[in-house]
Amino acid sequence: MSAWVAIRTVARREYVERVRDRTFLISTGVVVFILVVITVLPSLFGAGDRPSWKVALVGQASAPLAGVLPAAGQALGADLGTVSLPDRASAEARLRSEGDGGKVDLAVVDGDQLVALRTPDGDLVAAVAAATRELRLRAALTRAGASPEAVSAALTPPRLTVATLEPAGSDSAETAARFGSFLLYFQLITYGSWVAGGVVEEKASRVVELILAAIRPSQLLAGKIIGIGLLGLTQLMLLAAVGFAAATAFGVVDVPASLLGPIAAVLVWFVLGYAFWASAWAVAGAIVSRQEELQNTSTPLVLVMVAGFVVAVMVGDDPGSLAARIASFVPPVAPLVMPLRMAAGQAAVWEVAASMLVIVAATVALVPLAARIYAGAVLRTGGRVRLRQVLRETRGRTRASAGSPG
Amino acid sequence: MLELQGLTRRYGDTVALDDLSFTVARGQMFGFVGPNGAGKTTAMRIVLGILAPDAGQVRWLGRPLDAKGRARIGYMPEERGLYNKMRVADQLAYFARLHGLDAGSARAAADRWTERLGVAGYRRSRLETLSLGNQQRVQLAAALIHDPELLVLDEPFSGLDPVGADALAEVLAERAAAGVPVLFSSHQLELVERLCQAVAIIVDGRLVAAGPVDELRAARRERLYRVEVAGTDGAWAAGLPGVEVRAERDDGLLVMLGDGVDDQAVLDRARAAGPVRHFGVVRPTLAELFREAVQTG
Repeated sequence: MSAWVAIRTVARREYVERVRDRTFLISTGVVVFILVVITVLPSLFGAGDRPSWKVALVGQASAPLAGVLPAAGQALGADLGTVSLPDRASAEARLRSEGDGGKVDLAVVDGDQLVALRTPDGDLVAAVAAATRELRLRAALTRAGASPEAVSAALTPPRLTVATLEPAGSDSAETAARFGSFLLYFQLITYGSWVAGGVVEEKASRVVELILAAIRPSQLLAGKIIGIGLLGLTQLMLLAAVGFAAATAFGVVDVPASLLGPIAAVLVWFVLGYAFWASAWAVAGAIVSRQEELQNTSTPLVLVMVAGFVVAVMVGDDPGSLAARIASFVPPVAPLVMPLRMAAGQAAVWEVAASMLVIVAATVALVPLAARIYAGAVLRTGGRVRLRQVLRETRGRTRASAGSPG
Repeated sequence: MLELQGLTRRYGDTVALDDLSFTVARGQMFGFVGPNGAGKTTAMRIVLGILAPDAGQVRWLGRPLDAKGRARIGYMPEERGLYNKMRVADQLAYFARLHGLDAGSARAAADRWTERLGVAGYRRSRLETLSLGNQQRVQLAAALIHDPELLVLDEPFSGLDPVGADALAEVLAERAAAGVPVLFSSHQLELVERLCQAVAIIVDGRLVAAGPVDELRAARRERLYRVEVAGTDGAWAAGLPGVEVRAERDDGLLVMLGDGVDDQAVLDRARAAGPVRHFGVVRPTLAELFREAVQTG
């Protein structure tokens, strides 16, 4: 059987068995749910929503405000409605009333007294102040002999054009990249530990001996890593699609297309990061005999990941810093840092290319070594295998060559 | 046929196999016996290519055994091993595919062998939900799933109840009758004796005896006879030169004849003592041959 067929067969089993697993399906569902919630939640709970106020106008002096308050509210990004009430007592009753129907947020009595149940929103007071100022200005200008058209023209500002120094939508891109970096951290640890757990499972159940009677250790390792990696990529793509759809549907971002760059970067860096990490995780699994021992050998890997995540959080605030630039050339950390720098527009094309080249080169150097340790250790049972011993014993032997005498 | 030629393997300073050679013929049931730690598993792993020998080679059909040939071997490791959480039919189909069968043939083989070994009702069950006996059957199915041209089974009978052992023996005999060489190790020497045409006995990684069981028996220098003489005890044999009484049993005397002692002369003495009901060579059991081999080897 060709090597490729062997690898594909193993990869298919890893993918199919895991994707069918109820625990996986449930956890994926939970993650998707959480993702939708944190994407949509701000808009559901009114963050970024237009405030909506109702103002009661009491007395002759307050009446003209009805004409200008809505526009003043508009300028502050709020919906402002007015209602005329005969006296202060009825206004107070409406201030105290429960229920949306007749409730008012503020009463303006005789043009200059503001009455509220508690300290009113600053924006609301500012809107009333602006409206009052406009009324007085109009009156003063009219008294000075200006025509109503001239007054209106003066008080209507010209349409202002806005130019931004950063590209449109880069804020949401950076937020997406931060979230993506966080997700990458979890995915890399999760799927890496699945590789380690899968290796130990085969070792502890001894099924590995039956498999290695049919195919080579390197083929089993490659198939396992590819199968689990494809599953991780599938899950990440699902999350990206759901996140993108939710953000678009609920209008969370102004320019949905600005998310596509960071999403693509996260997917690419997952592939690169996983390829780099997976073989190390496989070694962590191969040198122990039981699941309980796995924690000892996987802790160093987790610690490096945590350190990488801390670095990513720190440089996330300043993606152009020297620390960020250095971190994007350190293979274990680069997958968490580079998407942030790319989204912030702080990474030159050559830097991205060079960073990718470094991690690919590191992976190419690591994989044969990991495959050798894996092949030497995977048939050994009974306690922890020493790395140096395996490396010494596998030197010069062509096939998997360790194992206990028997 | 399968030839092991001069296999040597060391683990550090320990010599696990020392120049081991023997041959398993087509259609032969071949027993591989030896004390614990003698190197049986190591030898089998080398045949499977799971371990590399330090010296020597394994030949199949006259040529060095390569990966292609190894894919045609059916193997059962001593430490049984399957995926606990995988469904039986999926699992068997997976092993069939690892041995090069296409998807359709793999499914068909899984169906056929679960049927043949009486676990068809568990095809959709996870392995861990089966009884140990049924798990053993699935393990055997995994070894047979790709219609192997050679079977290498490490302690296939251990852990089986008598019914399971009979079922296994039947399947192995059937494969051997189809021309498949069946090499298996076992501690149950009576069973090996009953099933096998040939054996190899190894001690401390070295071969001490190999060949057809009949020849091994015949090659023994000492000659043990059972002599049954009606109406008398063993007194007639006492004092005969070159004759040693080993045991007095209900069915007669067990006497060992030394080198150069004429058995016909002994028979004459027995007839002189009374009517001889039985006079014949006692064929040593494999267990006896094994014990002698272990003691002297």
